[in-house]
Amino acid sequence: MMQGITKRFGKLVALDNVDLEVRRGEVLMIIGPSGSGKSTLLRCINHLEVPDKGRIVIDGVELNSKSANINKVRAEVGMVFQRFELFPHLTVLENITLAQRIVRGRSQQEAERIARQLLEKVGIPEKAGSYPAQLSGGQQQRVAIARALAMQPKIMLFDEPTSALDPEMIKEVLDVMLDLAREGMTMVVVSHEMGFARAASNRIVFMDQGRIVEMGDPGVFFTNPQHERTRAFLSKILH
Amino acid sequence: MSAEIEAGTRSDRGRGLSLSFSRAPYWLIILLILFLITFYAILSSETYASALTFIAEGIQLTIAISVAAYAVALIVGLIIGLGRVSKNPIIYTLATLYVEVMRGVPLLVIIFYAQFVIMPWIDDVLAFQKALLRNTFITGVIALALGYAAYLAEVYRAGIESIERGQSEAARSLGMSHFQTMRYIVLPQAVRRVLPALGNDFIAMLKDSSLLSAIGITELTYWGKTKVAASANTFLGWNTVAFLYLILSLLLSLVVKWIERRTSSGRR
Repeated sequence: MMQGITKRFGKLVALDNVDLEVRRGEVLMIIGPSGSGKSTLLRCINHLEVPDKGRIVIDGVELNSKSANINKVRAEVGMVFQRFELFPHLTVLENITLAQRIVRGRSQQEAERIARQLLEKVGIPEKAGSYPAQLSGGQQQRVAIARALAMQPKIMLFDEPTSALDPEMIKEVLDVMLDLAREGMTMVVVSHEMGFARAASNRIVFMDQGRIVEMGDPGVFFTNPQHERTRAFLSKILH
Repeated sequence: MSAEIEAGTRSDRGRGLSLSFSRAPYWLIILLILFLITFYAILSSETYASALTFIAEGIQLTIAISVAAYAVALIVGLIIGLGRVSKNPIIYTLATLYVEVMRGVPLLVIIFYAQFVIMPWIDDVLAFQKALLRNTFITGVIALALGYAAYLAEVYRAGIESIERGQSEAARSLGMSHFQTMRYIVLPQAVRRVLPALGNDFIAMLKDSSLLSAIGITELTYWGKTKVAASANTFLGWNTVAFLYLILSLLLSLVVKWIERRTSSGRR
């Protein structure tokens, strides 16, 4: 749950008093033009950006500036980045096991067992010993998803997970995300993949200029948007 | 730092080597010829041979002091380099002060300072009855390490700052603490990236260890000086000293080049 989130970068108001509640098990899509504050909003959820004003409560825990609190909350919030951000000096397996061991305190065997299970789940078990640079973009992003899932997060945040991928790799990443959605994972997704929005999302949020313009379930949202601004935007991205 | 820049242009030239004839390393060929002439002189001339055996005594100490001082500087430099990227204003200020002071003072002055200020002071405080003062080896290590820690700190800082912000964001988003992020994600990548620069600073330090002859440490240059004073054949004496330093630093720069090639063709 987020309440009255405001974030400024210098004079620019990136987020203007935004309220948003994500329900358990829900898949929430955030769309909007670039610079509308959607990524900033997502990054505020785990305090990669610290809001200037407002409260963020995750699973009953309010985020504050104490680092112990933030580290703890972040371990419960998985994040997938546009540019994957795998650790290039570690193998795929090490990428997935490192945080499990040093944050969750799991043993090496336990962490590896979970990592291999997840690699199986995202469809690349044979890549465990490879380094990130040896993988395609789609494979890297699937490893990044596995890395986040290994922490057994309560919520997953996706920051434009497919926009750095070649078209033919987008599907393999979206398929993994669809599986996750079907399993009931709570997800907040910043993306313009409208196919995914139709197939998996429960609610769609449209943002512009740091505010939420419109929010609704995908059926209504696509067929009958309420605001002129939403209509104009949708006409540009739906062909 | 000139050492870094030098290495950059040198390796660029190395890459062009196989492509163009005009870019061939003629300097290396000339150097080799000079080496052969020197070797021949050493083998054929008795005074040269005796100078070499006499002066070469210092090599061991030159290498020992350089390695010891470099090991200390690597650790001290890392700590100060971490201070230079710290968000804590006090730590940042202290680290920056150290770097600016040490880089602003000539190494020779730092060496005299260590010999005549720091060591006597340590003796006083710890009441070792001047035992440390007499140990010029430790003085030399401290002076070189303190001076070079500042340069190495800047190398580390550059390395740390060259790691993309997304890397630490990814680590933090997994719940890692600031320290864990540094220890497991940022530093391993940063150190790998600056390995050639660190190696070049070792070569620079090895050459600068010649300054220690000024406080009577019996390293390579010291023996050169005494030999020259004894024989009055300045050309021969300093030729031999320069020859020995050249061999050491050229061998080491080959090692650095090898490391450079390995890291650049590595996992990135």
